[in-house]
Amino acid sequence: MGDRGGNVRLSFQTLKVLEAFLEKPTGELSGADVHKRTEIASGTLYPILLRLECAGWFVSRWEDIDPASAGRPRRRLYRLTRDGLARTSEVFASFGRGVPA
Amino acid sequence: MTLHDVPSEPSSARLPPGELRWAEGWARRLIEHAACKAPPALSARLAEEWLADLPARRGAIARLRFALGCCWASKVIAHELGAVLGATATSTAIRTGALYTSTGPSFDSRRSAVSFLIVSLHVLVIYGLAAGMARTVLESTPDRLQVSLPKAPARERTAPPVNPQLAPVDVQVAEQHWALEVPLEPVAVAEEGARTREFAAASLPPPVKRVLGGPGAGFPNTADYYPDASRRLGEKGSTLVQVCVDGSGRLTSNPTLAQSSGSARLDTSALRLARAGSGHYRATTEDGKPVSACYPLRVRFELKE
Repeated sequence: MGDRGGNVRLSFQTLKVLEAFLEKPTGELSGADVHKRTEIASGTLYPILLRLECAGWFVSRWEDIDPASAGRPRRRLYRLTRDGLARTSEVFASFGRGVPA
Repeated sequence: MTLHDVPSEPSSARLPPGELRWAEGWARRLIEHAACKAPPALSARLAEEWLADLPARRGAIARLRFALGCCWASKVIAHELGAVLGATATSTAIRTGALYTSTGPSFDSRRSAVSFLIVSLHVLVIYGLAAGMARTVLESTPDRLQVSLPKAPARERTAPPVNPQLAPVDVQVAEQHWALEVPLEPVAVAEEGARTREFAAASLPPPVKRVLGGPGAGFPNTADYYPDASRRLGEKGSTLVQVCVDGSGRLTSNPTLAQSSGSARLDTSALRLARAGSGHYRATTEDGKPVSACYPLRVRFELKE
């Protein structure tokens, strides 16, 4: 469970979400993009995203488009913070997996 | 931005063609309902985010599953953040991490505990059934069940109320005596000329006076048929011959020996006597009328001194 100190209970689904972001650490992903990569159900995925955001691992923003001209609503995009990337690197390093630079 | 400010997609991009439109509509309604159940500071954001991600799911079932998942997600988020977020909470609180200050047990931990409890109960029940707990319960059932029922309160029997409008009526029934008189007269039936049986029979027809026949006028003399050898030897005896005679006194059949005298000569002579007497028998009468009948005829051979 996340708290102000950034501690998050790292469940299997949470690790899968973090792994999806590690493919491009500086990139931004929407909830639909994370679902495509992890196949995690929406009932589990969105609480995890919000939990990581509250813990400071992620930041989010609205997609910078005009919904009328784009023909679709704007998406919520998530991105790893510097602290989140460091913590994610530590977690996966403990599992023996490297993090791309 | 509020929930109602969520921009909607053009229908061409939002709605798939054909039969998937109903699923799209239901999914959108579910998502909006789920967002309303989330904390107020997040409901608008979640509704817009989920509605934007909905078209990424392909197929009616996938979109409905996504919407149902959003319902579950809103419950989880409300449970985790509800204690922290108030009506005045802002998105700043989310960025500062103020949303996760709850010190209670996590929702996932509680859910895991409930799941573990359910599984444990199932395992316990299955183990109990496999270990024969159900059989023990059945065997411990008593063979006889004694049930004590409370006694019903005794009811007082009272005479029904007399209708005052009905006056008592004396009913008198004349006493009648019935007498059945059946004539019981003795009926005498002569049989074989010696036996008489009396009996009373009310249903029988009136008695018939029957008089058996016998040797009549002109019947041969027994002495004429006494064998000579028997006279010399001093044989004597009595022979019973059965004769059948019609109304005119004639034999209707040959006489037969009914009882021997002990001497063949005497018996033969008795049969000859009976045959010779045909036409001289006295006919049997019933109420005075001669009828055909069979009866025994005693022939006595006696030597006079």
